Amino acid sequence: MQLFLQQVVLGLLIGGIYVAVALGFSLVWGILNIVNLAHGALVIAGAYLTWLLFAHAHVDPFLSLPIVAVALFAFGYALQRVLINRVIRAPLFFTLLLTFGVNLMIVNALLVLFKSDFRSVTPSYSGSGFGVAGVQVPYVRLAALGVAAALAAAVGWLLNRTRTGSAIQAVAADRDAARLVGVDLRHVYALTFAVAAACAGVAGGLISTIQAITPTAGEPYTLQAFVVVVLGGLGRVGATVVGGLVFGLVETLGQTMVPGLGAGWANAIAFALLVVVLVVRPQGLMGRRP
Amino acid sequence: MTALLSIDGVTKRFGGVAALRAVSFELAEGEILGVIGPNGAGKTTLLNCISGVARPDAGSITFDGHEIGHQRPHRIARLGVGRTFQIVKPFASMTVRENAAVGALFGASRLPLAGAFAAADEVLELVGMADKASQPVVSLTIPDRKRLEVARALATRPRLLLLDEVMAGLNSVEVDEALDMVRAVHRSGVTIVLIEHVMRVIVGVCRRVVVLHFGEMLADGTPDEVLRDPRVIEAYLGEKYAKRLQEAERDG
Amino acid sequence: MQARLNGGRLRRLLLIVFGLAVVLVLLAPLTATDQADSLGLPQLVDRSQIRILTTVAMFVVMASGWNLVGGLTGYGSFGNVAFFGLGAYTCAVAVDVHRLHLPMGAGIALAPLVPALFAALVGLPLLRLRGHYFAIATLGTAVAVGEVVKNVDYLGGATGLFPPILHRADLLFLYLMVGAAMLAVIVSGLILRSRFGYGLIAIRENEEAASVIGVNTTAYKVGAFAVAAALTGLAGGIFAVWNSFINQDLGFSLDFNIQMILMAVLGGAGTLFGPVLGVIVLEFLLQNLAGRGDVAVYAQIGLGLLLAVTVIFVPRGIVDFFGGASRLSLAHLRRALRETGA
Repeated sequence: MQLFLQQVVLGLLIGGIYVAVALGFSLVWGILNIVNLAHGALVIAGAYLTWLLFAHAHVDPFLSLPIVAVALFAFGYALQRVLINRVIRAPLFFTLLLTFGVNLMIVNALLVLFKSDFRSVTPSYSGSGFGVAGVQVPYVRLAALGVAAALAAAVGWLLNRTRTGSAIQAVAADRDAARLVGVDLRHVYALTFAVAAACAGVAGGLISTIQAITPTAGEPYTLQAFVVVVLGGLGRVGATVVGGLVFGLVETLGQTMVPGLGAGWANAIAFALLVVVLVVRPQGLMGRRP
Repeated sequence: MTALLSIDGVTKRFGGVAALRAVSFELAEGEILGVIGPNGAGKTTLLNCISGVARPDAGSITFDGHEIGHQRPHRIARLGVGRTFQIVKPFASMTVRENAAVGALFGASRLPLAGAFAAADEVLELVGMADKASQPVVSLTIPDRKRLEVARALATRPRLLLLDEVMAGLNSVEVDEALDMVRAVHRSGVTIVLIEHVMRVIVGVCRRVVVLHFGEMLADGTPDEVLRDPRVIEAYLGEKYAKRLQEAERDG
Repeated sequence: MQARLNGGRLRRLLLIVFGLAVVLVLLAPLTATDQADSLGLPQLVDRSQIRILTTVAMFVVMASGWNLVGGLTGYGSFGNVAFFGLGAYTCAVAVDVHRLHLPMGAGIALAPLVPALFAALVGLPLLRLRGHYFAIATLGTAVAVGEVVKNVDYLGGATGLFPPILHRADLLFLYLMVGAAMLAVIVSGLILRSRFGYGLIAIRENEEAASVIGVNTTAYKVGAFAVAAALTGLAGGIFAVWNSFINQDLGFSLDFNIQMILMAVLGGAGTLFGPVLGVIVLEFLLQNLAGRGDVAVYAQIGLGLLLAVTVIFVPRGIVDFFGGASRLSLAHLRRALRETGA
């Protein structure tokens, strides 16, 4: 029973990370109808930036999150405006190819800069945690969950309570109508992508504290983000939160509860889950029926 | 004489809304049936159910003795039912001729490639598009795209053709041309069901009209009968106008 | 009149030159044989060039296969490498001394079958998805199959399988792969000018319209998927015995996956010779990049850049520069030839 509780707690904690990772991905998909295959690369770029600040400037990873957010925001804005915007009206498949190409460029640029050695961010409180009812709760993961929650709240606030958010939602609902009422489409697109990149960067910063990073470590996160969005349903921040937590739980419990199911099968589980959901309930757990 | 098409108690729901409610009627071979009703009355849903694009929740649809209510669209097309869409769906990267030829390759026609192109030419002639055969679809005007849609459906050699608002968006002259086309199609032996809002067309070419309102059949008769039916007038123009019309008629 | 003759003539000339070039390139490796030596012929190609040619032929098969589903039918699959891997493993298991111990010919003959069966099975649920969902679901399937294979001992587990090495068999494998490439192009050509091909294009252009005119969309999509799987699997099978080694990384390489897509799109998705052109251009580029220092990383960046450039500037593919109309079918090509011959 205690083991089970421990796994549930860990599952929720890692679920928080998945929420952070998926937030930006869901935003770009929902608003721009782009499945960004370079999302994982943005995440890992954020992780590397956090590591840089930690290793060379001794900045606590959690304190550097705002810096990472701003940096990735700017990068994301430029990326969308210069490159991705050119295929926004093209068939879906071309956007997939383009973002894949961007992914290749970012990941390999990171390889050139940092080589493939594993890096980690280990602040002083790294290994410790506290116990509650016999369950161990690591500080770092709890803080990560907190940040993820704050991030989700921030994005939700942006979308629902600001003028910018209204503009973004208007564009998502009806592009032409939005344009007719004076919304600058290109700016809104770039802004949305920038916010998503900032979220990805923050997620990367969180990830750098709980696992060792290498340029190619971002790949699984793109696909996991996809699973989270499909699981929860596209559209609302709440859906992404649900999807992320559920995915975290399923993965953690699945790996420890089912004997013989080692880490090697993690990806296979994720994708089996994905395909099943897509075929059986494509709108996700909380999505609206198409 | 057994009916070519028999709709019996067909009901179709979307979520909580009943788009069709126990609709029943029969259609004999060689008829041109008009289907009218205010927007949202369920007309397109009816066509969708007949052509297999939608599946009725209750009731049965029989075509030429075959139960088609739960068949997939391509099966129904092979039995001899063709249809057009309200918002045309051409095969954009093909020429006019190829669009028509694809129709001849499939449906009830199923000709081999060589024969399909010949059949395409025939059909294009019938709808008046023969001179535009090698044009790419993207260069066509709206009326021409609608003609192409009809041509493609005709190429499948249907016995029953369902036309969904073929006249929408056409000006007066274009409507006349389209009317001629519909008559020509009918003369070639095809039974037609025609959804329309343009009354001139209904009156001009249909000998029988069915009225749908909120998914229910309101009336079934000649255009004259149906258009004078007070319930129909009320449905289209509202209770107040219907009353006024009644009073006017009573007063001479 | 004059202008049309010149345009058509130029195209005809280009085709003949291209055809001759291909024939020469295919015959040149024969100069590396002993018989050629005894005839006193100079050796025109060396081993590494034969390897490159074999790789080119392999990608022609894979890009053509992808083209059937992605280009013609409009279902952009991101997981065709699964078929490559399944075909490679099928052949490897078939010829393995400790497993089925069949002759190589049998292994290669079996290689298309398992992927085709797999495609028919998973295609039914997968092909109900569209756009992004289909792309990611196929990607997920490819990754999942790769992972499963890695965990099964009979399939070599994490180590992989080692088909017996054949010595001095460079030319054999070259011509096997070229044969497969020709098969792929011929099959594509046959499909493009058949009812099946028109049905697939109709599905791509407007699936709902296609179904109401009588195209059995499910059967056609699954059929195209299975044919693509068979072709890709064949390439995988030949690869396994040519390379004398197959493991999860090689067989389900995401690199191969994206390359076959890029080649088809770069050359011209939905056309007959687009994939061939795309393979030649991309392999040429990659081989030239391979000469510089810290290879892999820069090649990857180049690949990413090329993807971006292709998608933004050449979305219809290189073939488009040779006359857009020829995109649709071989019929146009024949007509063009006929026009100039008249």
